[in-house]
Amino acid sequence: MSFLSGLLRLRRGPWENLATVLIALGVVMLMQPFFLWAYTWSFLVTLLGTVMFIITSHFPE
Amino acid sequence: MSAYSVTEPTRSSKWFAGLLVVAYTIITLLPLVWIIATGFKSGPDSISYPPKVVFEPSLEGYVNLFTTRTRIASDDFAALPPPETWYDQIVRDTGMVIAGQSRFGERFMNSVIIGFGSTFLSIFLGTLAAYAFSRFKVPLKDDLLFFILSTRMMPPIAVAIPIYLMYRELGLSDTHLGMILLYTAVNISLAVWLLKGFIDEIPREYEEAALIDGYTRFQAFRKVVLPQAATGIASTAIFCLIFAWNEYAFAVLLTSGNAQTAPPFIPTIIGVGGQDWPAVAAGATLFLLPVMIFTILLRKHLLRGITFGAVRK
Amino acid sequence: MTNPIDIAAKATPAPVARRVRGLSDRAIAWIFVTPTIFLLLAINIFPLIWTVRLSFTNYAANRPGREVEWVGLRNYTRILTDAGTWENMQTTAHFLIWTIVLQVVIGFTLAWLINRKFKGNDLLTTLIVIPMMLSPAVVGNFWTFLYQPQIGLFNYVVELVTGTPASSFSMLGPGGLAKWSIIIVDTWMWTPFVMLICLAGLRSIPDYIYEAAEVDRASKWRQFWTITVPMVLPFLMLAVLFRGIENFKMFDMVVLLTGGGPGNETLLASIDLKREAFEKWRTGYSSAYAIILFVTVFGLASIYVKALNKVKER
Repeated sequence: MSFLSGLLRLRRGPWENLATVLIALGVVMLMQPFFLWAYTWSFLVTLLGTVMFIITSHFPE
Repeated sequence: MSAYSVTEPTRSSKWFAGLLVVAYTIITLLPLVWIIATGFKSGPDSISYPPKVVFEPSLEGYVNLFTTRTRIASDDFAALPPPETWYDQIVRDTGMVIAGQSRFGERFMNSVIIGFGSTFLSIFLGTLAAYAFSRFKVPLKDDLLFFILSTRMMPPIAVAIPIYLMYRELGLSDTHLGMILLYTAVNISLAVWLLKGFIDEIPREYEEAALIDGYTRFQAFRKVVLPQAATGIASTAIFCLIFAWNEYAFAVLLTSGNAQTAPPFIPTIIGVGGQDWPAVAAGATLFLLPVMIFTILLRKHLLRGITFGAVRK
Repeated sequence: MTNPIDIAAKATPAPVARRVRGLSDRAIAWIFVTPTIFLLLAINIFPLIWTVRLSFTNYAANRPGREVEWVGLRNYTRILTDAGTWENMQTTAHFLIWTIVLQVVIGFTLAWLINRKFKGNDLLTTLIVIPMMLSPAVVGNFWTFLYQPQIGLFNYVVELVTGTPASSFSMLGPGGLAKWSIIIVDTWMWTPFVMLICLAGLRSIPDYIYEAAEVDRASKWRQFWTITVPMVLPFLMLAVLFRGIENFKMFDMVVLLTGGGPGNETLLASIDLKREAFEKWRTGYSSAYAIILFVTVFGLASIYVKALNKVKER
């Protein structure tokens, strides 16, 4: 799969997408009304996604 | 045979679309028209039920906006000399006398000073930075541009606490300079991104030709690029001005008297028993009117402005 | 990068620059960029770092004399396990989701109609756009007037259209309507924003794609879903992300309209934050709160810039 091989070879595209998904997940966890534990961990997920985004956007295309 | 185009909408669909859009326009402008109209209503007319669509125009709202008034004992009131001016007359008609000037004029001037000051500064700094980003190889260019844009996204309240503390230390709280610097910092991201787009569109050959003619790089920038970018600079300036003009969060947190702008002031206009609606409406009208005019002037560049220059058409 | 100016600019020989008198290009680049960066560092980044620092303490700005203690991550864990704050996040989500849905539906429809290019569409577009340029604070303030039960225009119009007596409901009072009142005002104000961007998307679709589809005898309905929607989608994403970010940190309009009330019904995250920071003066706690909001916004902003570049390539 090109997505996995892209991750393994540290390509920008798939990593950036992964980071985007993490950020989106964190935002959803922050504001969902269902689980308090998801709210509690939301910030870490968003932070991880954001840091990952900053780093991986410097990977080669 | 005339050219038949599949993409050209039919006449009837145009009519239908036009009708719906006109309906939307009327609905969306109604609140604005209502506010402007309320500014010309008398106090009782503004709070009548059912709301008055037809009313006798009055300047009471505008007079109240610029004055403070007091009620005096009826004996003293009867003993007063006849009113000297038309606005005296209007206030007398409501059973009060003018006590002095309100702070609206002052607040409005603060908005003007801070708005123009920060616009000038952000355009000045923004043009320089945009030119450099557009023409030279700046190290870490993409990162810097992203950094600049991300500062715009920052929630004002998130940085308001330390700015509040910092301004308290530096003696900048509630000063014009402090607000000008703050709004410049917020606006500069927009200025850099927009102006970079405009400067990118100016062909480099013009400068290259000037350089060959013996201009220095700086002269080429000043005498060739700046005049070419004039329209772009003007519309960017209007965007910055509108932002500074409209800003509320920083203004309400960091100013209280001296440098307070109009947006935090207008909601505090109080009359007898709650807000003085004609005066609030008059203030809102005076405050919003320049922006409405600027919006119409800007219409060609609006899209660019709201997308940081990404969408050009 | 397809416009002829860019191509011409690229074609210009590089050596020209080397024969220039005066400061070197490199020096000029630095001189031009540094003031901007410096200002941003001083007024944005420095305060931000300060906020991070404060977020690990129990500092209170109204009691500067008190000894400041390091509390580690306690502020963060308190916010992130607090059911009340969680509820404010849900209030924010309700506001976010509904404003985005309404603005996308109305905005896209309007753009689609305006794209019929009927006579006078330019003028109408300009008029429609006016609300979004106005001061949110002043807008919030005058909508409280329109929302007055009895005398307000909004209630009156509702009575005219639906027959519900104007004094029987209060948009800003108790009764559960307040969270809709802020959605209505935000939609009134920002639908034109979504509309403008959608319009740009629609206008970026070249005619020949539709012509080709017509040759293939694709129905209008099919053309809409296979051509129009996918082509406008990147633009729409841009609009949605931007509105999402803006409304996530929404403060001015709502604070003047409802002030977070009645009760906590419209207490959006940033209004809650303002109360904690500037009314209860729990500076350390609210700094941690601010950082949580900031990281969320920053994360969304990185996605936004990505979307921005995608649109730029078109």
